[in-house]
Amino acid sequence: MSALDLAERALRAAEGDEALALVQSERSGMARFAGSEVHQPTLIENEVVELQIVRDGRLGIASGNRTDEEGLRTLAARACEAADSAPVDPDFAGLAPAAEPPAVEGYDEEAASLGAEDQARLAAAAIEASELDLYGFFTSGVTGLALASSTGLGVSQEMTDVAVLALAAVDGVSGYAEQTGWRAGDVDPAGAAAAAVEKARLTRGAVELEPGSYPAVLEPPAFAELLAYFSYDAFSAQGLLEERSYAFDKLGTKVFDERFSLADDALDPRGLPKAFDFEGTPKQRVELVENGVLSGVVWDRQSAKRAGDGRESTGHGPPSSLRHWGPLAFALSVAGGEADSPAQLAEVLGDGIYVTRLHYLSIVDPREGIVTGMTRDGTFRIRGGRIADPLVNLRFTVSVPQLLAELPGLTRDPVLLNHNAYYDERYPTGLLSPAVATARFDVTGVGSGPGV
Amino acid sequence: MRELCEQAVAAALGAGASYADARVVVRRAQVVGTRNRRVERLDDTETEGIGVRVLVDGAWGFACDRRLDEGGAEAAAHKAVAFAKAAPGGHVRTLAPLEPARGEFRTAVERDPFSVPVAEKVELCLRAEEALRHEDVKVTSASVRAQREHKVFVSSEGASTEQELVECGGGIDAMAARDGVTQIRSYPSAHGGSSSQSGWEFVEGLGLEREAPRVGEEAVALVRADVCPSGVTTVVIDAEQTALQVHESVGHPTELDRVYGSEAAYAGTSFLAPDDLGSLRYGSEHMNITADSTTPGGLGTFAFDDEGVPAGREPVVREGILSGFLSSRETAARIGSGSGGSMRADSWSRMPLVRMTNLHLEPGEGSLEELIAGVDEGVFLQTNKSWSIDDKRLNFQFGTQIAWEIKGGALGRMLRDATYTGQTPVFWGSLDAVAGPEEWRLHGLTNCGKGQPGQHAHVSHGAAPARFRNVQVGFRQ
Repeated sequence: MSALDLAERALRAAEGDEALALVQSERSGMARFAGSEVHQPTLIENEVVELQIVRDGRLGIASGNRTDEEGLRTLAARACEAADSAPVDPDFAGLAPAAEPPAVEGYDEEAASLGAEDQARLAAAAIEASELDLYGFFTSGVTGLALASSTGLGVSQEMTDVAVLALAAVDGVSGYAEQTGWRAGDVDPAGAAAAAVEKARLTRGAVELEPGSYPAVLEPPAFAELLAYFSYDAFSAQGLLEERSYAFDKLGTKVFDERFSLADDALDPRGLPKAFDFEGTPKQRVELVENGVLSGVVWDRQSAKRAGDGRESTGHGPPSSLRHWGPLAFALSVAGGEADSPAQLAEVLGDGIYVTRLHYLSIVDPREGIVTGMTRDGTFRIRGGRIADPLVNLRFTVSVPQLLAELPGLTRDPVLLNHNAYYDERYPTGLLSPAVATARFDVTGVGSGPGV
Repeated sequence: MRELCEQAVAAALGAGASYADARVVVRRAQVVGTRNRRVERLDDTETEGIGVRVLVDGAWGFACDRRLDEGGAEAAAHKAVAFAKAAPGGHVRTLAPLEPARGEFRTAVERDPFSVPVAEKVELCLRAEEALRHEDVKVTSASVRAQREHKVFVSSEGASTEQELVECGGGIDAMAARDGVTQIRSYPSAHGGSSSQSGWEFVEGLGLEREAPRVGEEAVALVRADVCPSGVTTVVIDAEQTALQVHESVGHPTELDRVYGSEAAYAGTSFLAPDDLGSLRYGSEHMNITADSTTPGGLGTFAFDDEGVPAGREPVVREGILSGFLSSRETAARIGSGSGGSMRADSWSRMPLVRMTNLHLEPGEGSLEELIAGVDEGVFLQTNKSWSIDDKRLNFQFGTQIAWEIKGGALGRMLRDATYTGQTPVFWGSLDAVAGPEEWRLHGLTNCGKGQPGQHAHVSHGAAPARFRNVQVGFRQ
């Protein structure tokens, strides 16, 4: 039975003025390895049904993974109880109307056909290509999202995703590489492992660095993660409406380097394409920053209603479990620049630091866009325009707007970075990001050295 | 449920596994959340399924199935064995010997949270929110949660256990903004409040409505407060932030799977080595850390972990010396010490990992006031706001929602945007006092992430306010 068929079955079990059934399905495998050995292989197959029922202007939500008739009846009863217990919400935007989502790519038969033996084989390909101990995973999955509602909505999408993460490490050295995509051919596990080894070899003999402000090259994994943390508040309509976002009172203002343009674009086939959001609204490309000018944020139905200015959702409704975050930009896409490679960005800077990857970020101040975290698995000094001494992991505490205020260069071709840690139900998300050179990266401390 | 587990184990052994265990988990979770006086979340989630873990020629395999019937149990078992065979291991994995566990455990509950009408939960949140309202408060929010997990475990070694764990929790937040400054204040903890393994009586005892006016007023005062000055000084840290400090800089580095590199690619490793046990000075003589999966009310309390290892209480740091690791049967066998007892999975669809259970900083003596009285110049830090620590758990930086200047042994002006940073053993080495049992509180958090695919663990930490000397406060130049 398809996810949409199941959603329609669940909808028939609902009793309310309006109702919406959402189905998320997953068939995935992950061969996780450490010390060049698969140690946590996980196969998952699941199907979750969520029912949203509206009774007398009150919304109740319940979900479960029992899909027989009794399971669906119980689910509907719990959603009804929730609805009957809620007060009337005058700001409730109602369920999404019927819509024709755009045709998008994002499904690959070959990726969908990968089974446990393939996942183990592709993990082994990475392990065998590494001269150092290898840590990471190969994973592939097929994810379905379908919505059916009493308002006439009936949309579904099947997505595939594949990813390899490679951390090559022994005592005192470590290097990192990752690849992700929606086609089986988008990733080359052996190639990722070789890149991680090459990076790791440069990290032996890491030295400390005096805290201070440095020009820096951020490789795509580092820049993308920093941008993602900044985006949770800065590019969400909820943060804007609640006056806690950096974007508050700055829309239409040039606040970043004019080389910096950013969109949220789930339709882009270079990313992990999505046709509609968790409310069933078709996805739109939203320009967030255009040549340094803060130009927009993303909206869902609830935030658009609260804005009260006739605004409509841009197709960024979150899953129910993340509703307290408001609409989320989960398909960030940074426009490329002129540089051929990160090495060329180092030449542009002449002197500074080079960062491969970040670790354990935390938002210190959402209004000012201050984020802290650590670098890891490939941090270097740049001297004379070239990568020089390896550095220990650095504590950074940066104002992202200050970091974006002067970008001497970006690489030409953005690459897709996985933005999914596979918690709860699988739903592939990723960011398209180039490497960037920034005039200011604030180092506020030093941590451990590279290696395991 | 037990029969299904037994069928799965038998199917796995029949397919070639040398060891197998199966867990059936049925979990119901409910979250009620209100924001700016409207219901934002009213979720009721049920999930059920079976997870089967096998060892085949030294290789692990894990697979799961949501169907709680014979077909689901056998399918999960066969897939787990197939995956293990497809990814052979490089060495033999040994499990620490264990007497097969048999028994049952149920959380002691006075008021079943699922018997509490949803409308009552909504009303509680809305009342608490109303009491948070204040000029300049832009966002008020309140939430309560409940969870019931019914779990049956069977292993090929003869273990057979059944447990029903019930959790409840709640919290409130007020966010104020003025003149471009945004500040948040929470109670009883940040990031969703605090939880306990108990019935609804825990939520009723939190007094969310009672505490709300103070929380709102402090948020408003914070947007007008001075920024906490930077410098090296003495800090007194409240019990909640101390609990998080324990979690990040003691709990995670003492997880033995991290020490052996299992988490290197994601959560990270540890600055500790296996042979540091019994000799490494982790902190001052005031530092006593205990792992205790028997603590009443703890989110990490059980009778048996997800390998069937009985609950227990073990020192992790004793008078500043590393005395124990958190372990699984596999890692315990590898280090030749202990028998595990810290393995937990966040659902039927995830493989168990070494997780904290309840990890406590044991109390010292005296009151918070006495800790503060011993400070000529310093800062009192309350309630976590931001947190980050490096992949080996050495360099950390925490921010707190609110701080107070300490001068001449007494609290002075309120301060905002306080952060502190340090290196784990140096920081714990600067611990010179922990307040006494009367100040010791249990803090339950539900957002501890680890593993790939990711898993959230629910863990508790008991802590009292603690005092540290020569700490770097602030990051701004």
